[in-house]
Amino acid sequence: MEERDDKDDAVQTPNADRPVDPWLGLGHNTAIGKRLKAYYDDVASEPVPDRFLMLLDALDAAESGSKKSGDE
Amino acid sequence: MAQETDFRRELIAIIPNLRAFAASLSGSFDRADDLVQETLVKAWDKQHTFQPGTNLKAWLFTILRNEFYTQMRKKGREVQDVDGVHAMQLAGHPEQQGHLDLQDFRKALEMLPDDQREALILIGASGFSYEEAADICKCAVGTIKSRVSRARTRIAEILKIEGDGEFGPDSISSQIIGVAPAA
Repeated sequence: MEERDDKDDAVQTPNADRPVDPWLGLGHNTAIGKRLKAYYDDVASEPVPDRFLMLLDALDAAESGSKKSGDE
Repeated sequence: MAQETDFRRELIAIIPNLRAFAASLSGSFDRADDLVQETLVKAWDKQHTFQPGTNLKAWLFTILRNEFYTQMRKKGREVQDVDGVHAMQLAGHPEQQGHLDLQDFRKALEMLPDDQREALILIGASGFSYEEAADICKCAVGTIKSRVSRARTRIAEILKIEGDGEFGPDSISSQIIGVAPAA
């Protein structure tokens, strides 16, 4: 569809504080854009739960463990 | 070794986004975290297939989305059965008490078809480009645009949002459908 390259975009739209695509009106300054962000950030702003950090530790440990035994 | 550490650090940085996306897909915070867990395990297993320098966030979102729809297919009926429970679980989220505005928006989102909701989230909240969202959803860029647009119009109707900036729902839908706004 409307393929635009970045250069044209920069020349034609000084859009620092404009919605990314005004045609769709989802910028964060619109009523829906704002609510959408609030909805999303309600979860996305929470700290990473420990269960995931522990999971990654376990995956890491399992991997280096198997590497070690593979080397020997 | 250093690369692995980077991979881990980048994964952790993206987890908050994965959780928010998963919650919007599944409609349940518990299920969202299970989805994120599956995604992390899968991503870890096939981290060698990730091309460094490409978009890790989009790669992870794709894994999570695939996982979600695979689970949906596997236990379609089960998921349907708990549909009514979703809204209750969401309403029960402790941080949500008193946020009526957010509650209403959540309910409105729940009423959208899955494909429209995910397009709206990817573009409007997760910060992906249309091209990236199209890759994640394995569809055309134009499809993503039309889903976002329909989602936006529908949400505006449900919430009765009027005068939403200069690009209100009426002007959007009339541009797309090619008919004059009803009111």
